[in-house]
Amino acid sequence: MIAEKTNTAQQIIDAVSASAGKVNFINDAALSDAMLFLENKGIPTNKHEDYKYCNVDAILKKEFKNLSQNFKEVTSIKEFKLENAVTIVVVNGNYSETLSDKIILKGLHINSFNNLDDNGKSILTSQADVNKDAFIALNTAFSGLGFHLKVENNTQLQIPIHIIYISSSNDQAITNPRNIIEIGNNSEATIIEHQITVQGKVFTNFLSEKLIKENAKLTSYTIQDQGENGFSVNTNQVKLSRAASYENTTIMLSGQLIRNNHNVVISGENAEAHLNGLFVIGNTQLVDNHTLMDHQVPNCQSNELYKGIINDKSIGVFNGKIFVRKDAQKTNAYQSSKNILLSDDATINTKPELEIYANDVKCSHGTSTGKIDESAMFYLNARGISNENAKIMLLNAFAEEVIDKITNEELKELIQKKLGFN
Amino acid sequence: MGNEILEQHIQSDYKWGFITDIDTETFAPGLNENVIHALSKKKNEPEWMLEYRLKAYKAWLTMKEPDHWAHVHYPKIDFNNISYYSAPKKKTELASLDEVDPELLKTFEKLGISLEEQKRLTGVSSNIAVDAVFDSVSVKTTFRETLLEKGVIFCSFSEAVQEHPELIKKYMGMVVPPTDNYYAALNAAVFSDGSFCYIPKGVRCPMELSTYFRINASGTGQFERTLIVADEGSYVSYLEGCTAPQRDENQLHAAVVEIIAHKDAEVKYSTVQNWYPGDKDGKGGIYNFVTKRGICSGDNSKISWTQVETGSAITWKYPSVILKGNNSIGEFYSVAVTNNKQEADTGTKMIHIGKNTRSTIISKGISAGFSNNSYRGLVQIRKGATNARNFSQCDSLLMGDKCGAHTFPYIEIKDKTAIVEHEATTSKIGEDQLFYCKQRGLDTEKAVGLIVNGYCKEVLNKLPMEFAVEAQKLLAVSLEGSVG
Repeated sequence: MIAEKTNTAQQIIDAVSASAGKVNFINDAALSDAMLFLENKGIPTNKHEDYKYCNVDAILKKEFKNLSQNFKEVTSIKEFKLENAVTIVVVNGNYSETLSDKIILKGLHINSFNNLDDNGKSILTSQADVNKDAFIALNTAFSGLGFHLKVENNTQLQIPIHIIYISSSNDQAITNPRNIIEIGNNSEATIIEHQITVQGKVFTNFLSEKLIKENAKLTSYTIQDQGENGFSVNTNQVKLSRAASYENTTIMLSGQLIRNNHNVVISGENAEAHLNGLFVIGNTQLVDNHTLMDHQVPNCQSNELYKGIINDKSIGVFNGKIFVRKDAQKTNAYQSSKNILLSDDATINTKPELEIYANDVKCSHGTSTGKIDESAMFYLNARGISNENAKIMLLNAFAEEVIDKITNEELKELIQKKLGFN
Repeated sequence: MGNEILEQHIQSDYKWGFITDIDTETFAPGLNENVIHALSKKKNEPEWMLEYRLKAYKAWLTMKEPDHWAHVHYPKIDFNNISYYSAPKKKTELASLDEVDPELLKTFEKLGISLEEQKRLTGVSSNIAVDAVFDSVSVKTTFRETLLEKGVIFCSFSEAVQEHPELIKKYMGMVVPPTDNYYAALNAAVFSDGSFCYIPKGVRCPMELSTYFRINASGTGQFERTLIVADEGSYVSYLEGCTAPQRDENQLHAAVVEIIAHKDAEVKYSTVQNWYPGDKDGKGGIYNFVTKRGICSGDNSKISWTQVETGSAITWKYPSVILKGNNSIGEFYSVAVTNNKQEADTGTKMIHIGKNTRSTIISKGISAGFSNNSYRGLVQIRKGATNARNFSQCDSLLMGDKCGAHTFPYIEIKDKTAIVEHEATTSKIGEDQLFYCKQRGLDTEKAVGLIVNGYCKEVLNKLPMEFAVEAQKLLAVSLEGSVG
């Protein structure tokens, strides 16, 4: 890929290096590779095929001219806490032991990157290749103090883990939160990742490496609620072992720019992965969901469902790729993207890709875009329901398919309240 | 057993791979301004045509060869190693078919388009008027007089430049400007010949028009141009066929096809592309890098592309429709078959600009052997294209476990009243389907043929009768027993 390079990356490097010390928990080879990649390739523009509809370079140039990295401390996270969950807090990209709950659950361990054991060190950067993407490189070069969350073998966690990434800045800042999540053999966990910006203009470059071991199950939720001054690129590098199961539901509530790179490597037989996403956007928001299902072995399943409601001048993007390698026979992969446009100035770009090198597979995708169904409106109108209310009912019904994937009741209620179509 | 049949097929010959021994006049390989001057002079072209070529050439020089985005792989092309003009030696101006080199006529007979025979059968409306392009030059256009009675102009591009300069000046480059892309620019600079067709107001063309392309000489590239203009309320069905001899080298075919449909006009363009695909090791074969685009410029107009792609080492083309007129319709029906080491990256672009525009895309890919077959398409609904409607369906069929099938659809929507649907599936021929057929006494070979034909039926049905038969045979040959 030949993409034009700009000096945005250099400006970020200068601004961030000035305020932060050297990242000492990532090995030198990865650090220098990351720097080299940034210097050579820069931040991707829309000339880069993967960022065709999402010119991060231009956005950073326009919105983050004066990166000051002048952060504000966050002292309380009470209002964001879920009643029934273990809370872990990351403030401005760094794991905060004081704000996080004390871990007393059997089989659950949390280590900050400063106290990584050898196992943790070997996982760090193993899933996120710095030479693959500028934002992986950027995060690696300037990684915040992350944590390694480990669920031991044969452990069923009954309580969900709620990770709050909270940012607050006096003016313009960049954060690079990072974590490793490891679910041991035959274990089960539910993790809610919640992104919030309370003050200032913050660009969050999030990176998570998730390992789901044999016969383990991870149910994960990503709630993105960064407000109108929140900008983020979120990379999830997930690897599934034999008979592992991964389900992620991402709800995009607010944020000026949300770019999600969700890459799932299915490397063990009989594993399954499910990705769901819902975005409800307006104004001049840009939401771009990129997913990759990399089927490397036979007999696996993957499923994707992304829905979007796009209003005003906002832009929604879905680019899903199902990649079936040569030996991944009996793969069953499905992808669906459905969108409703509510305004004449709204845009939706979708690119559902299939790249298939095995013959005994069932792969399909479907995408549709339209307006609110007129006959459905008429049906409701005819029963005395006003246009306003009918619209809310229909949009709710449209979104419900994704919201129903949330099995945690407390979270589901919170989301429904936040979305509240009107 | 599967492998055996596959092997058997891989060894089956390309039956159009003969070389015609004919005197040709060929330029030495190389490309520079002098070549363009010489080419233009050879064709006795007016000054404006030469200028057009030179302008395109200059633009081409500043452009970069696209090599990073399509899902195809080939070594870099040396454009100075190609001869840009090759023509059967002509004695004088030909007045009738009798004067055409008999060797040449034999070639066309082998190809199954007997010009002789068709000449005798004048006046039968089901007949086809053929413009045969041999290497770079249009050899003979049949039925010209019959067509002229209706006011239909159907001739070689060079003749049109001489006889209808006002039409060429007006329409050439209207849909595919010389600076459109790398290969379109190259074509605009060095195009040798091609076909021109004009259907006047309100005329329904009485017969199918057809161009047959044949590359013969070695070391040459073929750069033809086709321009079809359908004036208000007219209708034409246009066919295109292509073959090439079997050679170890790769030959470049970079054509441009432009279609302009005025108000209420309809153009149906069908292609059966069977350039030499190279041998089983991927040696030789044609690089088919073609720019095809039509514009529905008037209200209620319609352009329909149907293609059956079985040949070429590398196919890289996206027949597109710009739906500018209100209520205009664009259609794309495609069957692309790749076998051995062939690679195809093909699809369409539907650009909706006018109100109430509609487009349908049906693409059927079949990959066998070691080949890679990609669908790449764009559906774009521009702002203000109220009530636009698109339906796309892209199916892939995989035969054997060494091939690949890919889908890269781009969908860009900027209007809330648009309804756009896209579906894609990938599958193989089901054991149960085969079993069903075999149980009824069909052998594996025939069963596969039957299933594939059924799979492609939606597209094959769109082809004109004469072509549908050829296409079905082609499919059978291309896939003979490649069930794995």
